[in-house]
Amino acid sequence: METEIRSEAFRKFAEAAAGIMNPELRSWKEEGRGVVGFFCSTVPEELFIAAGLLPFRMRGTGSTSTELSDAYFSPINCSFPRHAFNQALRGEYDFLDGLVCINSCDHVRRIYDNWIRALKTPFVQVMSLPRKVGEPQIDWYTDELKILRGQLEEHFGVRLTDERIREAIQLQNRIRGLQKQLYLLRKAERPPITGAETLAVMVAGTAMPKQRYQELLTELLAELEGRRGSRDYRARLMILGGELDDPAYLEIIEQQGGLIVTDSSCFGSRLMWRPVDEAEPDPIRALARYYVRDRPSCPRMYGDQPRRIAFTREMAREFRVEGIIGERLLFCDQWVVENYMTGLDLEEDGIPFLALDREYVLSGEGQLRTRIQAFLEQLEAREG
Amino acid sequence: MARIVGGVDVGSATGKAVVMADGEIIGSHLIGATPRPQETARLVMEGAIERAGLPGIDRLDHVVCTGYGRLKVPFAQENVSEISCHARGAHWMAPSTRTVVDIGGQDCKVISISDKGTVLNFAMNDRCAAGTGRFFEAMARALCCGLEGISALENQSEEPCVISNQCSVFAESEVVTLVNEGVELPRIIAGINASVASRLTSMVRRVGLVKELVLTGGCSKNQGLARALAAKLEIAIEDLPEDPQIAGAVGAALIAAEKARG
Repeated sequence: METEIRSEAFRKFAEAAAGIMNPELRSWKEEGRGVVGFFCSTVPEELFIAAGLLPFRMRGTGSTSTELSDAYFSPINCSFPRHAFNQALRGEYDFLDGLVCINSCDHVRRIYDNWIRALKTPFVQVMSLPRKVGEPQIDWYTDELKILRGQLEEHFGVRLTDERIREAIQLQNRIRGLQKQLYLLRKAERPPITGAETLAVMVAGTAMPKQRYQELLTELLAELEGRRGSRDYRARLMILGGELDDPAYLEIIEQQGGLIVTDSSCFGSRLMWRPVDEAEPDPIRALARYYVRDRPSCPRMYGDQPRRIAFTREMAREFRVEGIIGERLLFCDQWVVENYMTGLDLEEDGIPFLALDREYVLSGEGQLRTRIQAFLEQLEAREG
Repeated sequence: MARIVGGVDVGSATGKAVVMADGEIIGSHLIGATPRPQETARLVMEGAIERAGLPGIDRLDHVVCTGYGRLKVPFAQENVSEISCHARGAHWMAPSTRTVVDIGGQDCKVISISDKGTVLNFAMNDRCAAGTGRFFEAMARALCCGLEGISALENQSEEPCVISNQCSVFAESEVVTLVNEGVELPRIIAGINASVASRLTSMVRRVGLVKELVLTGGCSKNQGLARALAAKLEIAIEDLPEDPQIAGAVGAALIAAEKARG
């Protein structure tokens, strides 16, 4: 990606986000240590960390076609699982020692069924995430996490004590805190980091050893201290959406002059805006509560739209957002309905909203540029 | 001396150019698109310049370009999106306009506009040719009736067939099936127009229908479609007093005039 940030730490983050394998991950594997892939930000990375494993958030980065996976899926399945599974069938995920799938949505959940038939990953599990966000669902997810803990202990031959899980929660919370610090820098009139660059930093956090990531992020924060970014932008924007791991998509928006200052997305603020409760005596229950209810909500959860729009509004106010873009992967049933409601709610607040459909692999750049340009013109016409 | 300005709209199917002076159109032109957008832009603007009785493009004080080829026009000082341009152009042609439905070669869009002609909100077709000029071209090909045949009011049966597929490719197969079943042409044509009108209706509802609603873009000349859309939205859709296909170029010229004034 194009960047003005001269930083070795940032270069490593951009490199990790631009592919699946990266040097930090490679060294980890060379030390003989295990990596477990997982789909969806509701899978608790803390359990893998506590087991001494490196959690790797599954992506389809670098994919150019779905010719292998389309035998298993159809062209009207979401392009994210199709590209991610295609990369797996090509052997790009052969480094995995395990994989945890989840029913984040029906397209992604079906990867599990195909994966166990087509690939030889030694440890593959599928979890059941509840749909509602009340106490009974927290109980349910607590049970699910206990099952996963048992499976990890048995397969990898480790003891997942409460103490170890607590340490993993503390480490993840420290990382969340640093990532939030990075976001808070973007409240400035001239943020030191763009939206595309921030996304690269966030994606890298799901692809490299956590301790190493924490060191590099601390380094980057120190380097960004006092840095003033370009003021040459036409509007401050916020991105709303689900699986978005491609900084190039945001780069196109920013090249048109729309500076992305914050988001509610699942490689973005929803990963880290709030910490896991460290005071809760049972760390497994703390994780269940966090992933089911306490973190910013995702549209897959039932009856939770009021909390989501409240979060969007809070973010928009705090970051002085002038316009919001809701991106959605084509065929996603969760986000299409969500975006329509968001548009209506934001109209009440007088915040212009643009809903965009996209494919997982960047395409139709001309159409995208037209929409962004028109949206920025719309925002400027309001001022004038 | 009056400022002379130009607007050029390099679309996917056609190029349109307008020359304006003192807020009036003094020349306009329309051509089929060439594979080179800069070439389309130059040819169409030279045509408009000639009709305006001017010596050459360099006589223009300011030029704004729009459309898919807008980044490739060397004689334009700036580019503006076709959404803003259609809004301005339609508003200039009919100031009571509050909703613009622009149906072009590969895009259809619904634009909600203010009483000043600025964009309040818009929706566009994404990742799909349904409801665009390309769709009508495919249907005209399947029916061997030409675009005029699809448009002609005498071809709009009161009993349209149901064309359920929005996808151009599948809709074409559906139409071929109907042809082979011996269904009469006007029922199929009315069905095609009704299916596009239905897609546009949902886009209009998404943006919010505020009257008056006008049609712009090449496909707005499809009378069958205009009638089907008016029926579905339960409103009257008046024809614009100027060629609706040049609305984007007119909007670009109006913006050029503003910029020229400084």
